[in-house]
Amino acid sequence: MLIKLEDIRRYYRVGTEEVHALNGVSFQLAKGEWVAIIGQSGSGKSTLMNVMGCLDTPTAGRYWLNGKDVSHMSDNELADIRNREIGFIFQTFQLLPRETALGNVELPLIYRGLGAKERRERARTALDQVGLSNRITHRPNELSGGQRQRVAIARALVTDPSLLLADEPTGNLDSATGQEIIGLFEQLHRAGHTICLVTHEPTLAARCPRAIRISDGVIVKDGPGPEVALDGRTERARVAAVT
Amino acid sequence: MSLRVDLVEGGRIAVRTLGVNRLRTVLTLSAIGIGVATLLAILGIIQGLNGAFARQLASLGTANLNIARRPYVVTGDWWRYRNRKQITLAQMQALAQQSQLATAVVPEVNEEGKELYAGDQSVSNVDLVGTLSDFQKIWGYEVPIGRFLTDADSDAERQVVVLGSDIAEGLFPGRSALGQSVRMDNRPYRVVGVLAKKGQILGQSMDLVAMIPFKTFLAVYGKRDFQIDVGLDDAKDLDRAEDEITGIMRRVRTVPPGEPDDFSVNRTQQLADTYQKLTSALYGVAVGVGLITLLVGGIGIMNIMLVSVRERTREIGLRRALGARRRTIVVQFLLEASLVSAVGGAIGTAIGLGAAKLVSLVTSLAAAVQPLTVLGGIGFAAMVGLFFGIWPAARAAALDPVEALRYE
Repeated sequence: MLIKLEDIRRYYRVGTEEVHALNGVSFQLAKGEWVAIIGQSGSGKSTLMNVMGCLDTPTAGRYWLNGKDVSHMSDNELADIRNREIGFIFQTFQLLPRETALGNVELPLIYRGLGAKERRERARTALDQVGLSNRITHRPNELSGGQRQRVAIARALVTDPSLLLADEPTGNLDSATGQEIIGLFEQLHRAGHTICLVTHEPTLAARCPRAIRISDGVIVKDGPGPEVALDGRTERARVAAVT
Repeated sequence: MSLRVDLVEGGRIAVRTLGVNRLRTVLTLSAIGIGVATLLAILGIIQGLNGAFARQLASLGTANLNIARRPYVVTGDWWRYRNRKQITLAQMQALAQQSQLATAVVPEVNEEGKELYAGDQSVSNVDLVGTLSDFQKIWGYEVPIGRFLTDADSDAERQVVVLGSDIAEGLFPGRSALGQSVRMDNRPYRVVGVLAKKGQILGQSMDLVAMIPFKTFLAVYGKRDFQIDVGLDDAKDLDRAEDEITGIMRRVRTVPPGEPDDFSVNRTQQLADTYQKLTSALYGVAVGVGLITLLVGGIGIMNIMLVSVRERTREIGLRRALGARRRTIVVQFLLEASLVSAVGGAIGTAIGLGAAKLVSLVTSLAAAVQPLTVLGGIGFAAMVGLFFGIWPAARAAALDPVEALRYE
């Protein structure tokens, strides 16, 4: 198993109150799987994504990523794990405005300590993969929303991570561009990448082979994407949503 | 990840950030630059003054002692010295005979505030000295024009004078004073020599001096209070010579054992001590002002760095998400703060040195700057930036990546 979560709990203290953002989450993810994590805002899906992305550590429970128990690692170790194992894709793209597309994609390789020449080569290849080889010297403000997200995806791919972690990747895009990006994810899935997509949109989750619905910090349903995402709708509505 | 990567990448980011945020960079630069400029201008002037003083002091020679009723520098109870017995010619002769270490002993008598005339020119506030030929050797006077006084001048009570360079220029502008006649207290004197220029010591011109033969002085002005000037072979003998001379003088002046000396043995060094006492407090205040300016600049840097950290919160979050360690972030912001300070320091150094140079051109204060000061100015500015960058950098590194990524 590439990813194994075992009774993951994450509690916060807000004032005098203890908030149980994750209340015992367990699931596994095989290499090459594409899973959607779906839930309303406040359901705990963002906390789950932060834990899976090693940006946050669980209060209790164990998390194995690519064979390593990362649940109790130090801050520095987690930084290295993020650099090697995780490819983040954010709703707001999170590109550095003063860097070119190439510079943005190179960024995680700098923190890996690679030389300039190798960085540039790998960044070019990654940009080529997302279909932006003719935009490498553009800055983010010279690119459309869809192109920006492609740069961000290239940045996630460039380190060849075990897991691509996408947080509402189409949330800031119009629907046509959103479809393009989902198409790109489908391509990456076919190429063998492991993808975890966090969203509150049932139609998006329905495109994934597998979906996990989370509510009040626990998993309420885990199964094929369309089934979990469109839970409770009629068969006709499901078909309409997917097609 | 290695520290080298942190430094290289941090430096690259720092340079780029400075280039992008031009107005902010300029403001920060000037904050630190003004501080460094102030400090360096002050230091330059101080170094200049100290150097000038040391040169002037050296021109007096160091292997000499002066015996008088009063110390060179009277502080506090001046009346104590007024009632001391006068130093007599007999005491001087005893000293000359008994001292083993003294290589030259001459009497010196002084009158202050004399006025000299030649034709329709006049020079006032002249120090008049009556002495013998060895006075020149003891105090290191050079006589480029004419000659110094001789003992024969004194024995014959000749009406001759050696002039300080300021007097010679004042009385005979544009022509030679040698062989000319000058008048003082309604008596004529023939100029036999002109002294080389010595400059000022503690604000007093050393060139407003006129010297006449010892016995001539006595004949004209009557018996006066003597001083004795003693020359030595070597400045290393000063302590031993002072002990010896003190012993001889106590004996010939019959000071009872246990009583304090009723005379003073003076050294040039006393002037240096006084100079330091007078100026160190002043320098302290001046340097303090410069440091406060720099402190203000440092706080300015800290302020701007804090703003920069806040503005770039999301960038910090992203970098952390992509694998930057806390140390990487700390190094990045520390480099940025010290780089901007170092550049400010370099500009401030140029301005400060320029100001010091300007001061030395416009006023009579001499400014000197040692090369080390320049490097020190830049380095010190960088240190200031580093120091005041610590808190903002620590705050940047302490950011929670999740929170930072969400920051609007």
